[in-house]
Amino acid sequence: MFNPPYKTKLQTLFFAINFAVDLFFHFSWIYIFTTSQTNKLTKKILQNQIYNTPYKSSIIKFISFFIIIFLLFNKSSYAQSKKTNNYQITESEFESEFENNKNIDPYEKINRKIYAFNDFLDRNFLQYVARGYRKFVPKFSRKAIRNFSTNLSLPLSAINSLAQGKIDNTLSTMSTFLINSTVGIGGIIDVASSKSIKYNYEDFAQTFGFYGLKGETYLYLPIFGPKTVSDFVGFTVDKLVDPLSINTFNFGGSALNNNDYIISYNFVDIVDKRESLLNITDAIKENSFDPYATIRSAYLQKRKIDISR
Amino acid sequence: MKFLFAVFLLFSINANANENKDQEDAKLFIENIGNKIITVAKEKKYSESLKRQKIIDLVDSSIDPNWISRFVLGKNFKNFNDQQKARFTKLYRDFMIYTYGPKFKDYNGRKFQVNDISFKNNIYLIKSEFLPKDSDTPILVDFKVKKNYEGFQILDFIAEGISLIETQRSEFNSVISEKGIDKFLEDLEVKIKKLKKS
Repeated sequence: MFNPPYKTKLQTLFFAINFAVDLFFHFSWIYIFTTSQTNKLTKKILQNQIYNTPYKSSIIKFISFFIIIFLLFNKSSYAQSKKTNNYQITESEFESEFENNKNIDPYEKINRKIYAFNDFLDRNFLQYVARGYRKFVPKFSRKAIRNFSTNLSLPLSAINSLAQGKIDNTLSTMSTFLINSTVGIGGIIDVASSKSIKYNYEDFAQTFGFYGLKGETYLYLPIFGPKTVSDFVGFTVDKLVDPLSINTFNFGGSALNNNDYIISYNFVDIVDKRESLLNITDAIKENSFDPYATIRSAYLQKRKIDISR
Repeated sequence: MKFLFAVFLLFSINANANENKDQEDAKLFIENIGNKIITVAKEKKYSESLKRQKIIDLVDSSIDPNWISRFVLGKNFKNFNDQQKARFTKLYRDFMIYTYGPKFKDYNGRKFQVNDISFKNNIYLIKSEFLPKDSDTPILVDFKVKKNYEGFQILDFIAEGISLIETQRSEFNSVISEKGIDKFLEDLEVKIKKLKKS
């Protein structure tokens, strides 16, 4: 039999409010607990709190009732101020780490002259060769050449990756090299990327950058184009060590001593790389007010990302 | 007291819920734009000029030209008077949409997906990738997005680690240093006229 614990009207009213608050709190908890935005820790704490709390104090329940109403209708000043702060614009948003050109490019006058020289060579020779290569060599052949060239650069990339302690990347790079060299028929088919094996290319410049070799001063080199001082050091080491370049340490022995093959390979590689950049350089020349400044900014951003990866 | 503590935790849930919802909304905003661009680019019924216009309209409605024009001026912002700032903002908006809008009409790729989202200094950085039609190598494109009173708006496109507005900031600063503000604005106007005709 139902035996209410109240006798007077006041007690009845008090009990009714008590009951409504209990009910409300339970439904609020169900809503909050089932909302996907509630974090797991808070859910756990709520679960423990709600089932273990004895509900002794009605005053606490009344207070929590009003707090819940307040929160659920999103009138909290904290939530509001957070919303307002998201819409405010702060000066720090407009800062750029690449702002101070004088520190980054102290040799700008000389660099611009070398850029003009390289641009002259490019417009009157290399660009024509690259466009001819694009027009007369079928796309699948160009892709095969690019895959072959990229594959040959992977062992050195793996060594640099290992030197930086990037074990996962080292394994991915070597896996790519082995798969493409075998299943990919000497590297002309990029089988590894179709199997979602991803790697980041690493060179000596990135390795030196990893170990803190400073040298962010921007240089624009004849023929070789944009570099920073540390990049130039790393680039030089790359060329000295690469068996398909200067090969100072004579890797590969007599098999790689034929200079004609090495020169031909490097020439094709340069033309292929130039062809891959045709769309980008055309866009820069068409849209940019100052191609030199655009190339400098893009290069410095890319190198920063490559080194920090 | 444990009970009150639990209730005060609700306080943080509510604020966190707002932030998580904003992140989800920012992600959806970019997904919608990416998928709309691919849909328009793939649509065979549209002529090239219609595709170009649709994508220009899409880009125009998505970017925040005021914020971006402030950023690309960099340290030169304080050297512009109010009239020059207003003129530059208008010109730069046209420059952005007529330079980069038409580039997207060739984005008839297989897939666009958002991979990650982070929040720093009031700006969301949304990492996504675009899978071209004839390649298995995705192109990594990041977006910087901010929420304001008009909703979400794009502040920057970052392709393979290279920020569009950072690059333009360097370029514009260089030109303004060499030619001055008025000559720069005249050159910008001439370039926009050429872009609109092409």
